Amino acid sequence: MADPRPRPLPRPTPTTQPFWDGAKKKQLMLQYDPVARRYQFWPRQNSVRTGKRNLQWKKVSGRGTLYSYTLTHVATAGFEDRVPYPIGLVELDEGVRIIANLVNVAPEDIEIGMKLRVAWEKLSDDINYFAFEPAAKKR
Amino acid sequence: MKGNFLKDKDVCIVAYAETKIGRRTGRTAYEFASEVAAELYRKTKLGPPDIDGLGFTVPLSEAGNAFWSNYCSDYLGITPRWLQTSDLGGASVTGNIARAAMAIQSGWCETVMLIGADAPSTNWRAYYGGYRNEFWDPVGIQGPPGAFGLLMNRYMAQHELDFTGLGALIVAQREGAVVNKNAYESFRKKITIDDYLNSRQVSSPLRLLDSVMFCDGGNGVVMMKTARARRLGLKRVYPIAYSEITNFNGAEQTPDITITGHSVVGPDVLKMAKMKPRDIDMFHPYDDFLIAVMLKLEQIGFCKPGQGSQFLRDTDIGPKGVLPINTGGGQICCGQPGLAGGGINVVEAVRQLMGEAGRRQVPNARNAMVTGIGVIPYGRSWGASSAMILAN
Repeated sequence: MADPRPRPLPRPTPTTQPFWDGAKKKQLMLQYDPVARRYQFWPRQNSVRTGKRNLQWKKVSGRGTLYSYTLTHVATAGFEDRVPYPIGLVELDEGVRIIANLVNVAPEDIEIGMKLRVAWEKLSDDINYFAFEPAAKKR
Repeated sequence: MKGNFLKDKDVCIVAYAETKIGRRTGRTAYEFASEVAAELYRKTKLGPPDIDGLGFTVPLSEAGNAFWSNYCSDYLGITPRWLQTSDLGGASVTGNIARAAMAIQSGWCETVMLIGADAPSTNWRAYYGGYRNEFWDPVGIQGPPGAFGLLMNRYMAQHELDFTGLGALIVAQREGAVVNKNAYESFRKKITIDDYLNSRQVSSPLRLLDSVMFCDGGNGVVMMKTARARRLGLKRVYPIAYSEITNFNGAEQTPDITITGHSVVGPDVLKMAKMKPRDIDMFHPYDDFLIAVMLKLEQIGFCKPGQGSQFLRDTDIGPKGVLPINTGGGQICCGQPGLAGGGINVVEAVRQLMGEAGRRQVPNARNAMVTGIGVIPYGRSWGASSAMILAN
């Protein structure tokens, strides 16, 4: 096997920093559009609905439902020891979707529509990365 | 889209060219562009001084070059008065034809050469920016196969997906590649539905044979006013309707990801051309993934929603069939020459409409629908969708 490649580490920008500050405290932060009264993801400077630069960061529940998933058989950098690993498209209760690793669940137990909650993987001293696990699972 | 600027058939395609597709050829996008241009000169009896309009797709292999089209003009010895580089991904070739038609109609330029040339299997230079570094790459998702794995699985939650229908599609396209001397040589052999079903999982439920493979190659066309083409005694294929949409559902946070921009642009072009799906003689859809072809069949109206795989299983899609599809093999069976890929489907449609498809000629073909797909957005289906109807 080739030398293990490191999993890519996010490089926060001034716009995305509040997301990663929340992640460090294991809090999922989303941008909220106070005019449209809707959340949006991924972090931007502007509302995708109104174009205004008036988004507010809010701590959210971290709860959602599995909208779809794929089982990845060809590892990208840093995932070689997990193959095959599930990646979900998770619909949060707040009305946005996030692509994330599904953890603490066997592939055969994954079902579209299952309830999920956020979990965190420590990638570095500064970065906790979001993942999702079954909501019913005891920590 | 409002109006149809192509309805008068006042602009036409007079020649097409295509190189052999290869893998890790060691060649550059410039070299493929040169080969395409030389073939277009041979067919039209034109030369570099005659070309006053020049359009390109962005090559992945030159993605770090902010002056690609300028450098390639220099390489070719062409001094364009109209220069266009499209970054609609796989929708760039159809998009360029529409843009060139407008430039010619307006009098901006007279003779346009459109070139797609790329060598990503030799030289990979893509960089994306945006959300990728923070919200995509660290998740370990397999790029387009990962996104299409998500799309396929969602489709399966909403509809029945008969994998033998997708198998029938690749089996038929492989038969096209067998008789296409430009197809990547390793793909020029027949396969069976079982070969498809048994191919290894890449991003389940997506298999290896569901997707294209990056190769190197080039293709292109020459366009001019119809009256001039007639005077020069050149063959003529007419774009008669075009529609595109980019960043489909871009502001939606929870759209149905199985619905694509082709649900908009497909019906658009049919309406512009005053046609029904049954009036289309052959279909040359952009085929990065088998399921993309299937979704387009449903959303353009060739079959009912949710019935795409059954339609492919039960319909003769070969050159003599009810609805010939990607008769030259498409990208899945010719190899995808990076972001010149959209030209594979376009060139085959033009070749057919000029009656030059040899053993795979569709008898009496009067028109074709061609489509383009560009870019995989975050958690949706695909970003850019185009549809064009060509006629002879």
